[in-house]
Amino acid sequence: MAGNLGRSERIDIMRKIRELTRSMIVELSNGSSKMIAIDRFKNYCINSIENCCCRFNLSEGKEILTLQRESHVRRLDVLLRVLLIIQQLLRENRHSSKRDIYYMHPSVFTDQSVVDRAINDICILLQCSRHNLNVVSVGNGLVMGWLRFAEAGRRSDCIKKPNSAHSIPVQVEEVTDIASPANYILVVEKESVFQRLANDHFCSRNRCIVISGRGYPDVPTRRFLRLLVDVLALPAFCLVDCDPYGFDILTTYRFGSMQMAYDAKYLRIPQLHWLGAFASDSDTYNLPQQCLIPLTLEDKRRTEALLLRCYLRREVPHWRLELESMLQRGVKFEIEALSVHNISFLSEEYLPSKIESELTKGK
Amino acid sequence: MEFASLQDLCLLLISSAIRRCICSERLCRLSVLLQRSPASDPPLVRISISDTGLGSCIEEFQNLKCPVEGILAETWNGIVYVRTTNICDKEISCYQLNLKENVTTRKPILLPSNIKHGVKFSGTEVCLSVSESIDVLLEEFNCFFQKILVLKVPNIAMEVMADGQDVPGSRNDAVFLEKFSPSSSFAASTLDHLKFGLESYVLRHGSSLACDSCFPNRDNLRSGGGMVCEDKHKTTKLVVEAAVVTTEISNPTNNCFRAGCSNTKVLCFKDFAPCSISEALLKALTGIDWKRYGLALECAIDQRSHALLKWEHMPLSFHIHIVVHCYDKHVFEAMPLLQKTRFDKKLIRKAVKLALDDFKNKHAGVLLSADTLKVSACSRRNQEQLLKLASIFHLQISKFAPDLAKSIAGLVLYSSDMDFKEECLAILGLQPHQSEGEIVGENIKNKIISAIEVNDRRQQGTKEVAPLLFEGRHELQFVDDECDEDGLDPMDL
Repeated sequence: MAGNLGRSERIDIMRKIRELTRSMIVELSNGSSKMIAIDRFKNYCINSIENCCCRFNLSEGKEILTLQRESHVRRLDVLLRVLLIIQQLLRENRHSSKRDIYYMHPSVFTDQSVVDRAINDICILLQCSRHNLNVVSVGNGLVMGWLRFAEAGRRSDCIKKPNSAHSIPVQVEEVTDIASPANYILVVEKESVFQRLANDHFCSRNRCIVISGRGYPDVPTRRFLRLLVDVLALPAFCLVDCDPYGFDILTTYRFGSMQMAYDAKYLRIPQLHWLGAFASDSDTYNLPQQCLIPLTLEDKRRTEALLLRCYLRREVPHWRLELESMLQRGVKFEIEALSVHNISFLSEEYLPSKIESELTKGK
Repeated sequence: MEFASLQDLCLLLISSAIRRCICSERLCRLSVLLQRSPASDPPLVRISISDTGLGSCIEEFQNLKCPVEGILAETWNGIVYVRTTNICDKEISCYQLNLKENVTTRKPILLPSNIKHGVKFSGTEVCLSVSESIDVLLEEFNCFFQKILVLKVPNIAMEVMADGQDVPGSRNDAVFLEKFSPSSSFAASTLDHLKFGLESYVLRHGSSLACDSCFPNRDNLRSGGGMVCEDKHKTTKLVVEAAVVTTEISNPTNNCFRAGCSNTKVLCFKDFAPCSISEALLKALTGIDWKRYGLALECAIDQRSHALLKWEHMPLSFHIHIVVHCYDKHVFEAMPLLQKTRFDKKLIRKAVKLALDDFKNKHAGVLLSADTLKVSACSRRNQEQLLKLASIFHLQISKFAPDLAKSIAGLVLYSSDMDFKEECLAILGLQPHQSEGEIVGENIKNKIISAIEVNDRRQQGTKEVAPLLFEGRHELQFVDDECDEDGLDPMDL
């Protein structure tokens, strides 16, 4: 699905839109109220390994939108309006952000998530990725370190100032000429940690690339990270808070999100290693009790739900052990808690030791 | 069979009389005569319930159980006099029974028979004397018969007569034989009669006189009926019939319906007589998926003589009337009803649903499901209904069909592929020169509305299959991937 958007791809998507339109007209002319069938994808289940039937990249069934149900018709209304906009974007070879599309019918769309869902539906129907529709989202991610690349012919040289944050390119498919002498890629969950590392000149001291999606990563951040991992063939490590939110962000990078399961094969980073923070780090690094926050009931419920995901049992059972350990200890902590002894502890001791350990393991 | 009051006993006797008349398959008369006995002290009223149906058998009265205490014990001595004859009998049998005696030891006292002198007729008269006001009894019998008329039993003329002893020679007659419509005949089914009877009841607002101001004729009424039966024994079926009638009033503030009242009164009959409301009936009514018919049920209340359905936000101009009738049907021969018919929750619910579905089939665009109503808002007919029912659904009228049509038309017309355009126009049945946006949009809109209506009716017969294979997880799926933009929490996934 991913790849450079050329004229031929654009023509192919427009052909698929025509086929979809024709099929709807044929259904209506036959008196049928079944308008479209959307394949359904998922990237995990909560069955045991023996009963797990998750098949990456394969549809798990179809969802048929009919005119007989109000919820379906509302969804169809939005989907067709968005499809009409996309048809125009492709015909004129222009780009638009999801936000732009939202503001074309704000009273009908009511919420950005409604537009996002329609775009996902259209991607599934037309068997393409979002960028193939000429729909872009505003990049939220940051990058710094030993990296040089070109975006639509415009050069970005992070190496000149390796400790300065750069925005992750929005149109990742137009990124070319990637070059890097880095030894690894470090993904950090939070912008505050990214800034800590920048202030500590982490990239000057360590030949690496640091990326942050600033919370849950958006599509450009994940696609850009995937591109770097594929092109540069570097090990990638991820640092998140020791809490269920941090862990879920980690799984989003590694396995993709459920909402975009249809595109997971282009967005997930199977090579991603979890660097921390682990529950056991609180002992290893002598975190004082006041830095540890008791898990709330909601935290426990979320953690238990995470533990059920099939891909953890299948691919990273050791991650589950760390998660279970957090649940048993009943406490969580933020990465910033590691600064309790020394503000640069994270960049000078914690990360180097962890990364060295991981790199050694890799050898 | 037990009865707790004089009204119950009279209803049982009338119910039996109606059954005998129906089984005779001849034109019959059912009479109730109330006569005051001036010589008695305290004054008694003689109640005579007579019919010209098949002759009765003693078992019909032998098993009636009367409470030994209560108001009935004070107003009635328990004695019933029965005179009955079959068409082939040469005489009229007469006997008396004391229904206050123990059922097992009770024995009829045979009275002298009457010779028929070769005249061929059949029928039964049951008499009893009670200490009660004749006016009260007359009012109650009138009320019974007003309801019984809903059943529109085709071969029975019913009358209630009362001697006005206070004014010598005066006589109150109430004749309930109605003129039937041309469509009404002996051959018509009991369900057709039930529908017709409910229409008449609605026209009269439950009284004896038709109301011309609210409903000049039956054209203002729409009806539907449903019937289910279940084998009870080899010779008996339990039958449940239901009829639905809707009315629309142009000026809801100036009519006989109570101001601000859009509730539905559900009449209930058991074995051809009005009955009190049972829990099974209430459960059956509350168990119906009313949203499939564009209705939102607030609650169902037992009002003893009827059930009251309260709707959420029903427009005052729109009323729904429902009647349910449960009875035992003997398959091979006319047999007396020896046990009370039971209410079956599932059968009642099924019968009412069949009546609603039948209604939808016959009257396109009315009682459409809540979903369909909102979808097809652009249809003039549906818009009219929406104007009446829109407030039911807490939602603004959404004009989905025109919007859907506009988008699809846009996808066709804005395409740069001329072959594709022509092909789509041809599928739609349009000529190449009819490629203006309005024409194409209107054509698609009509097809959408047609598909909605046809499939809404089609769905009634079949249980709707959830088109979504992962229905339970569906709502979890579509939170924006970039949740931080939406303020949504992806951990809720």
